[in-house]
Amino acid sequence: MSEVLSKAGLRVLVKEWVAQGKTIAGPVQTKAGLVLYGRLDSADDVVLEGFVRPVNSAKEFVFPRREVLCRYQAKGSKVELTNGEVDVAPQILLAVRPCDAAALPILDHVFNWDFRDEAYNRRRAATTVVSLACTAHDESCFCTSVGLGPQAERGSDAMLLDLGDEYELRCLTDKGRALFAGRTQTSERTATPSLGPEPRFSPERIKRFVDEQFASPYWQEATLACLGCGACAYTCPTCHCFDIVDEGNTSHGERARNWDSCQFSQFTLHASGHNPRPDQGSRQRQRVLHKFSIYPEKFGEILCTGCGNCTRNCPEGQGMLTLLAGIDHV
Amino acid sequence: MSEVTQFEPKIIAYVCNWCTYLGADLAGTTRLEYPANVRIVRLPCTGRIDFNLLIKAFEVGADAVLVSGCHPGDCHYTTGNYHARRRWMLFRDLLDTLGFDLRRIHFTWISAAEGRKWQEQITRITEETRKLGPYRELYQKNGFRLPAPSPPPPKPPEPAKPTMAAQEQQLRETCTRLLTDGTVQVVIGYGAGVPVFIRRAEDVGKLVWNAGCQANLTTYLKRREVKRLGKAAVVVKGCDERGLVILEKESQMDRAALRVLGMACDGMGQPKCDDCNVRQPRFADEIIGKAAAPPPEAPHAAALDDLMLKSPAERMSFWAQEFERCVKCYACRQVCPLCYCERCIVDKNLPVAIDTSATSNGNFAWHITRAFHLAGRCVGCGECTRACPAGIPLKLLNLTLAHAAEKHFGYQAGMDPKAEPLIGSYALTDKEDFIR
Repeated sequence: MSEVLSKAGLRVLVKEWVAQGKTIAGPVQTKAGLVLYGRLDSADDVVLEGFVRPVNSAKEFVFPRREVLCRYQAKGSKVELTNGEVDVAPQILLAVRPCDAAALPILDHVFNWDFRDEAYNRRRAATTVVSLACTAHDESCFCTSVGLGPQAERGSDAMLLDLGDEYELRCLTDKGRALFAGRTQTSERTATPSLGPEPRFSPERIKRFVDEQFASPYWQEATLACLGCGACAYTCPTCHCFDIVDEGNTSHGERARNWDSCQFSQFTLHASGHNPRPDQGSRQRQRVLHKFSIYPEKFGEILCTGCGNCTRNCPEGQGMLTLLAGIDHV
Repeated sequence: MSEVTQFEPKIIAYVCNWCTYLGADLAGTTRLEYPANVRIVRLPCTGRIDFNLLIKAFEVGADAVLVSGCHPGDCHYTTGNYHARRRWMLFRDLLDTLGFDLRRIHFTWISAAEGRKWQEQITRITEETRKLGPYRELYQKNGFRLPAPSPPPPKPPEPAKPTMAAQEQQLRETCTRLLTDGTVQVVIGYGAGVPVFIRRAEDVGKLVWNAGCQANLTTYLKRREVKRLGKAAVVVKGCDERGLVILEKESQMDRAALRVLGMACDGMGQPKCDDCNVRQPRFADEIIGKAAAPPPEAPHAAALDDLMLKSPAERMSFWAQEFERCVKCYACRQVCPLCYCERCIVDKNLPVAIDTSATSNGNFAWHITRAFHLAGRCVGCGECTRACPAGIPLKLLNLTLAHAAEKHFGYQAGMDPKAEPLIGSYALTDKEDFIR
């Protein structure tokens, strides 16, 4: 027995959510050949089929590329401080891929570890995640190598699985159940388990390698093609480094948090001019180390969901997958 | 109390220390009256006025901007104003493509003796700006979108043509020779899906030549990690090779120490090849193959032509929507062979020239700067557009500047190794029809 929802029924439901003033984000055909997660102005905007995954990641909606933390305004001899965005409207992340949904509980750790990050938690609490199980993958996908899969339920409040003319709906949390209450039928049909991409590497072996082979020439060798941009980190569902900037003038301005990437040469540059990660090899090694060793040691899980965006979006086709799969051959 | 009904425009004037500033001073000492709407910023020379300042002025709310300096021939530094004239000529075209209102951007020559001209010009600019009203269109979306181009069919890499297979074979043989006889220590070439850096003759089998070879590998010549590998050979296409001409002219590489392996190319069948007009390498040390088809006569730029048919406000709306997707990953910068600064201006924060935030201010300022730093230098390889994960057609900005260089100065970057760099040189005959 399962719960099902017709495809037309989903559109109707999305229209209702839009009418209720809920903020909805999902895959949008931004321009020819480019599907991105974006805000939906109408239910017709969402695209549900015909692509492997959006080019960006859904983290944007809980950890935006720019978050105003506070604003300042000079008033006479005093300075008035106000918080950034205090009210966050309830939002639904619709038809996000399981690899995007799984990233959210992973990110929760780091934003609630030694400090409870208000800005992140505010958005996270206001968010309901409705994922759409994958029916296709490409040569960059590697979710099965990091313990996930095309129907992985982690991080989703509800999951849709394509049955052709309708979706099987799995409500996984109270939030998910509340969203779809009374809108589904019961059915005998259930989605067939989907295997997803063949595993490409073993995370245990990666961890062993990064722990034991810190000084290996592999890091320099395998990363020569990396140009040091942030396309991988900025489209990664789990990368979460940020930089804090003050923008404004002597009378008023904002303090904001912007995405940052360990692949930029300036990321670790000291004021003295010394750079502890002086080359791209050490920067890429850091990225692997953080994702496959440091994060698992601290929080018990890999900082990667195998979405493959790093590889897909790398201008030079380098990406993490090439690097990780290469470790198996060292 | 009377109601304030008249709009008082804010005008920022960037003036040179030696002529216009003294002209303005003269206007004051001779008691000439002119509107108080102008805020003067004094700089050493018009040649020293960075285009970022103009952008900054609009960001902070200027309704019009004036740049003013010495008459030609009068520059305190001999040639600063000639350089400025050439630069502003190109810059105006870039701003036009971006949809800036050019009626709000003024350029004048005012000498130290021309107090009256200062009075007249400031009065004129103030009145004109007052009629235009506040500059509300800056970075605004007005709902206009360029009609979506018909979706290009997804192009899987074409199967290697027979001629390409022969070229690949010849390339491998050439590299075996170069590595064996010690001519070079490393070959920078295309591998399966990712660039490869071949250092041993037995690895030349990793080199490929097929329709997936889109990257411009000359960008690796700036990488410290690659420089460390020793004397290099680099595989280039005709389009990529143009960049080497610029790099050499700008003293960024020792051409004699580099081995250039030029691959004849009939286009990779990708959008980036649509505007290409050099398919046969010209200066390479070894030229492999012969391009079958001659390149198209005039670079094709239909998308830019379409955009220029729109009004400035519509163009700005178009760019505001495109830039909105920018996440500031700087893939456009990193992938460009000619963006080689050790420290990019956007990474400098004392003072902040360009906001690092992905806001409309930060994004416009960044993309204007990126494009204009490539004025007269960009060779049109299209790597910026190919690399952008947000699908922003950055190439249109570069193309604008390439067209401007050709139109105003008959200059094509990277075509003639003897040509002086466009920016950095000047001619007494440069047009100045935009200067009053």
